[in-house]
Amino acid sequence: MIDLVQNTIDGVMIGSSYGLLALGFTLIFGVMRRLNLSYGPSIMIGGYVGTVLYVQYGAGPLAVAGTMILGAAIAGIYVERLCFAPMRMGAGIASMVSSFAIWMQLEQAAILVLPRHTYPFPPLTTGAPLEWGPFLLRLDHLIMLGCALGLTAAIQFALYRTRFGLALRAIIGNPVAAHLVGINVSVAVMLAFAAASAIGGVAGFLVLSVDQQVTPMFGMWATLKGLIAMMIGGLGSIPGAILGGLLLGVVEAHCQWYFGPQIRDLAAYIVLFVFLLVHPGGLLGRAPGSDIAAPRTP
Amino acid sequence: MGNAKVLELHGLTKHFGGVRAVDGVDLTVASGEILGLIGPNGSGKSTIVNLICGLFPLTAGRVLFGGADISELPPHTRVALGITRTFQNIRLFGQLTVWQNLWVAQNSGEQRKQNFLPRWLGGSKGARAEIDRMLEFFDLGHKRDELAGNLAFGEQRRLEFARALAARPALLLLDEPAAGMNAEEIEQLDSRIRKMRQNGVTVLLIEHHMELVMSVADRIAVLNFGQKIAEGTASAVQSNPVVRDAYLGTTTGA
Repeated sequence: MIDLVQNTIDGVMIGSSYGLLALGFTLIFGVMRRLNLSYGPSIMIGGYVGTVLYVQYGAGPLAVAGTMILGAAIAGIYVERLCFAPMRMGAGIASMVSSFAIWMQLEQAAILVLPRHTYPFPPLTTGAPLEWGPFLLRLDHLIMLGCALGLTAAIQFALYRTRFGLALRAIIGNPVAAHLVGINVSVAVMLAFAAASAIGGVAGFLVLSVDQQVTPMFGMWATLKGLIAMMIGGLGSIPGAILGGLLLGVVEAHCQWYFGPQIRDLAAYIVLFVFLLVHPGGLLGRAPGSDIAAPRTP
Repeated sequence: MGNAKVLELHGLTKHFGGVRAVDGVDLTVASGEILGLIGPNGSGKSTIVNLICGLFPLTAGRVLFGGADISELPPHTRVALGITRTFQNIRLFGQLTVWQNLWVAQNSGEQRKQNFLPRWLGGSKGARAEIDRMLEFFDLGHKRDELAGNLAFGEQRRLEFARALAARPALLLLDEPAAGMNAEEIEQLDSRIRKMRQNGVTVLLIEHHMELVMSVADRIAVLNFGQKIAEGTASAVQSNPVVRDAYLGTTTGA
């Protein structure tokens, strides 16, 4: 029983990092209706900038976090300018395929610059985990959960209560009209990509500081976990992204405990498979084909 | 503005492939004027509006606004300068509320005085108060928090009009605002256009509804096959034989 609860706690904590990854994905895929496969690799580039700062100059975790988030955001803008800006009004498939090409480019660039496979990453906190009755709570895990909940609330607020968020939703509903009422569509979409990558950067920093290492494969890992968590949570739903991440984390934690680490990743795909069969809209998603941005233009 | 001419079109030309949609049109709109632009279907009226607001590039010619050449500027910059428009087929943001539709459209006037961050987070207080006044003016105050997509047709037309005015434009382009309206609604539209002019807005009105154009416009320009065939007061245009031929489909001298 204690194991069961402890595994659930661990699952929730790890799941909150998946939820953060899904949050950035949702901003681009659910809201802009674009699939950015280079999402994870942009975060990985941020991680590499962070590790250089750590290894070369002995920077502390906060400085590393700042540069990593900034690096991820700039990499996100790079991807947006190359893959998404040239074909804004249509051709979502073309954007997705070119974002796959940039994924490969970013991964190879990382290997070229830092050829060793793994590089160290600074831990966020050190010392013994907190004890809470018979259960153990890691401080960096708690920070992860706090960031996930806080950023979800912030993004939800931004999309529904600020002029910028409303402008983004106006662009999705009617891009031409949005441009003609004076919204600079190109800059707004670029900023949305930067924000999504920055959120991914937060998630990536928290995960890497728990792992204490970064590899070029981190990009693929982040894209996959974010994508799966987003699809489980429901396409286009901001709270759904976090819920999907938490559910994925809990399922993985229990599967690892009962069936071993090899089964862990398999469990993620099984959960996704079951959702796609039984409830393709995901936890909080609406019927397939509609999302929060679904235009109900007259 | 200091310039009596708000809008000048010099040799405005737009070809779509082999189609000469607009072919060398010269047109001037004076400050505070209501200029009616009429013509048979496909004569290039809507294309002229699209060219003035920068939806696609010109084939030839120039667009001057307040004396400055804006031919190369992107649409959002032209809005910031003070040119807004309504659409022939309504283009509201259906998933935003009535109030929010106006809020995101405040991209010239009051809102521009703010810096980037405050402008895009909360916007200026004065600008927000203006939205409520605008909604009252268009009799939409009670629909404030309703989704624009759920409004009735007449309300959507009024909201489009309000949205174009929310940015406090110097020049307003109305693309067939009376389409689908009944007699009573057209009468309200007529008085609203007049009231806007009193507030200093210059209007370019494209309309098929002749009664409205003849009543409200100071001057009327007539297009046919992308070229301007007549220009003048309502009575002068009405009695012009070339205009009659264009509308009745006969050829002069036949």
